[in-house]
Amino acid sequence: MDRQFKERLETRFGERLTGLIRQRHDETEMRIGAGDVVPVLTALHDEPEFRFQFLSDLAGVDTGEVMQVVYHLWSETSADWLRVTADGLSRDDPRVPSVTSLWKGAEWMEREAYDMFGITFEGNRDLRRIYMPPDYQSFPLRKDFFLPDDAARSPGGGVRPMERTHDPRNAPTTALVRRTTA
Amino acid sequence: MTVVGRSWNRLTVPGKLIFAGLPILLVMTVGLIVAVILLGGPVLDVLSDNVPILRFVVAITAILLITIPTAFLIIYMEMKIIALMNLRIGPDRVGPGGSLLSVVHGLKVLMKEDFTPTGADPIVFTWAPVVTYLAAVMTLLVIPFAPGFFGQDLNIGLLYFFAIGGLSVVGLLMAGWSSYNKYSLLGGLRAAAQVISYEIPLTLSVVGVILLAGTLSLNQIVLNQGGWFSNWYVFQQPLGFLIFFIAATAEANRTPFDLTEADSEIVAGFATEYSGMRFGFFFFAEYVNVFIISALTVTLFMGGWNAPFPWPWDITLALDPGQLGVMLLILVAVVPLILTVAFAAPLWMISARIKGWQALLGGFVLANLFVVAVIGAVAYVGLDWVAGLLWFLGKTYAFVFLFVWMRGTLPRVRIDQLMDFAWKWLLPVSLLNLFVTAAAIVIVDSVKS
Amino acid sequence: MPIEPAHQSADDPRVTLDRELGVFEPVPPYPPRTEREAEFYTLGDGEMFINMGPQHPSTHGVLRVVLKLDGEKVVDLDPVLGYLHRGVEKLCENADYHQAICYTDPLEYVSSLFNEWAPVLAFEKLMDVQVPRRAEYIRVLSSELNRIASHALFLGWMALDLGGLTPILWSFIERDEIVDMLASLTGQRMLFNYFRIGGVNGDLNHDFMSRLGDWMSRATVQIESGNALLNENEIFVRRMRGLGTIDTATALRMVMTGPNLRATGVPFDIRRAHPYSVFPELEFDIPTRSEGDCLARYLLRMDEIKQSLRIIDQCLHNMPDGPVMAKLPRLMRPRPGRAYAAVEGPRGQYSTYAISDGTDQPFRMRIHDPSFIHLQSVGLMMPGHLIADTMAIMASLDPIMGGVDK
Repeated sequence: MDRQFKERLETRFGERLTGLIRQRHDETEMRIGAGDVVPVLTALHDEPEFRFQFLSDLAGVDTGEVMQVVYHLWSETSADWLRVTADGLSRDDPRVPSVTSLWKGAEWMEREAYDMFGITFEGNRDLRRIYMPPDYQSFPLRKDFFLPDDAARSPGGGVRPMERTHDPRNAPTTALVRRTTA
Repeated sequence: MTVVGRSWNRLTVPGKLIFAGLPILLVMTVGLIVAVILLGGPVLDVLSDNVPILRFVVAITAILLITIPTAFLIIYMEMKIIALMNLRIGPDRVGPGGSLLSVVHGLKVLMKEDFTPTGADPIVFTWAPVVTYLAAVMTLLVIPFAPGFFGQDLNIGLLYFFAIGGLSVVGLLMAGWSSYNKYSLLGGLRAAAQVISYEIPLTLSVVGVILLAGTLSLNQIVLNQGGWFSNWYVFQQPLGFLIFFIAATAEANRTPFDLTEADSEIVAGFATEYSGMRFGFFFFAEYVNVFIISALTVTLFMGGWNAPFPWPWDITLALDPGQLGVMLLILVAVVPLILTVAFAAPLWMISARIKGWQALLGGFVLANLFVVAVIGAVAYVGLDWVAGLLWFLGKTYAFVFLFVWMRGTLPRVRIDQLMDFAWKWLLPVSLLNLFVTAAAIVIVDSVKS
Repeated sequence: MPIEPAHQSADDPRVTLDRELGVFEPVPPYPPRTEREAEFYTLGDGEMFINMGPQHPSTHGVLRVVLKLDGEKVVDLDPVLGYLHRGVEKLCENADYHQAICYTDPLEYVSSLFNEWAPVLAFEKLMDVQVPRRAEYIRVLSSELNRIASHALFLGWMALDLGGLTPILWSFIERDEIVDMLASLTGQRMLFNYFRIGGVNGDLNHDFMSRLGDWMSRATVQIESGNALLNENEIFVRRMRGLGTIDTATALRMVMTGPNLRATGVPFDIRRAHPYSVFPELEFDIPTRSEGDCLARYLLRMDEIKQSLRIIDQCLHNMPDGPVMAKLPRLMRPRPGRAYAAVEGPRGQYSTYAISDGTDQPFRMRIHDPSFIHLQSVGLMMPGHLIADTMAIMASLDPIMGGVDK
């Protein structure tokens, strides 16, 4: 747990943070809004006191209330992993600017977040589905993903009896499986 | 189902063979005897007037018949030897040591579905494997297997060989184009580029041998290499041999130049869309090609059917078994018994654990082996073609082993590296070889005269 | 109301069928939706598409790659994933914490222990569990063995893609011995299911130790002789040298990790950069090479095998006594929170980001996997090379489709 690191982040990005910086074990977490993603990450990438040039992971999260995009970064300036959470994306049309200008390797990770959650990354040149077939309708990792509904609408759907018991027109459209505030 | 039908069904397979086969055999035998009696005379007259043609027909038939068993044998060799190099066992179950596996493969390809892919040109698609196979097999006509054992002693034998052998590229191109498949097209074009590039070093490297021998006739080239093994052209043309070997490997599409059928890149290359016996033709053509290039290497550079040492004596068998009369029968009855006892006695005396009957059995086996060895030696010494054939096949299969060894060990080269190698390295070196050989011949001739 | 099963027919707009010729072109049947798709699926002059389909002897698993060719040169390529997608992340959300670890094994099935280690570390952070030292040492020992087995597979596969039939069988002798050892330790030859939250499943046993000792005494010599077949072979070296070169800046931009990054000159190894487990106590080097081509990646992995042998040696000598599993309740309900853990696997960085919401099932388990990242870079290394090189380059990046597709 790197206390000094927390202070440095608060000094630098204080106004952009949407919540407290939390630290646990060897991770430091900061939350920002969707619009601040590119300036904050560019600053973390370029500035010599941070130099977070290694993007370790880019994940989408559906908390049940909102959607989030979580970036994990590493630098030799700090002993902690830095977790930047772009919070507050709406569940109807989640949009976040893309970081492919900083890391070209984030392209496929953003494609995966789009495929699984429906989060649109503005500026990603190749935002199409990566795992599911190109004409797939639903977003699987969302908390309101209802499997028989999806199966009935999919190209091979409606064949098995389980899929036939759930008529897609009767499927609850806002059934959320779980939600969390973590 | 009738009574006959039900009884037929109750028979086992050997039973069916006997029931159905025996009458047919009897009829055929009787018919053959009748035909021979009635027509024998006139037929023999016609044949004896045309012995050369008859000889030619027999030779062609023999050549066509030996290609398939040769291919089977080389396929088995390849599977088994590469397996042993890979520290695994290889074919094991079918036949002793798995030796019948390639026969089974041959039967399998005959039983597969025969189809032409959609969009493929049916005529070209069908004839492509035929062209490839024929181009391979027709070259066997001029190769001398033993003294007097060749299809035809053409005085342009070597030229004929390269001309007909070069037709195989037509078959590959036909296959690649007519399959209507991009992979096949790529494979066919690669194959064409490769074969054409390596034709030139192949033929140029052999010109040195032609200059030394003074003739294009393969039989004459082999005869020139008689006597001691130092007469073999490999010692007079080492560079030529090396270039020839490499270029021949590329011509036959063998590793390390097997990118036309690189199955880790373009599936099966030009043969992707072929199945069943059509693919069987390509498959057998490849292995017959291996045999052919080995045979040609041996013929041109390694002395052909010559033994490494000259024949020091002039033996003619002066035996006439007919003179013995009754003694022959007695000998045939008594000699095996004498030999068996002669071999059994030492076995029985060596160890107390070997009982009498075991010694006799062992003696019998050894006696048989002894008789076979004696017959073999007599044949070897007395009949020159036996010796020649044995040496030729031995040397050829040594080279086949070398090709199989290369396949098991080496990876494959890339198409641009391959073309580079052919045009920038082999071609200049073979030209160099040619010039040096020609210059050397001129100098030696002028020194001699 | 019955739902009619869908069937593929000639009228189905999803199928691109050139009716006259009966030819299937590997282009999507809809107009391009993104810039990159438009750029890729427009043919230039004399170019053609070829589909290296999911069934292919050389794509490391079920991967479909659409190549844009100009004759034999590859102009561009577009990998199409998803053929092995099993929805592991979603499955983990509906499973216990302990069960979720079992789902992660088949991700990169060749190096299963690393797939288990990352989520186990993340869950241990969530639950504040202290792992006994003996368990840590056993974890390091078994995972380094797994690393050697994985690199042996890489070696063989790389040679097979270049055309050599023999090295794969020789290197599988190594892998077989290691996998048998791990089978006597964990009970499985491949998807080990050995790591648990708080330790490992079982202690070292006599059979494992004797096999390990026996193997280690011959390991170096055997591996060296197996390598000699490739390292000293002119054809291999000429095909791999200068192929698929990637420089440090590009590698960092493409977020590469593991041997692929170290072959470009960056000595970044999670075991040293952000140590976990008992790696601070172990002595090992981080081999690096600077050329960044296939040959460098291949030789680097061979160097890593040597370092792994060193680590295994030290683990055996310093193995402490004690329990191999912490005392934990059967049903784990961590308090709501988030945790991230990364380990250095044979392909690169495996990491897990776990969110718990207070129940006994993880709320979100995000799995980050190196093969997925590295497969993006194939497109960068490819242009100008030939089809034969596609295979060589993909093999040198060592992707495992289980991890790419999750």
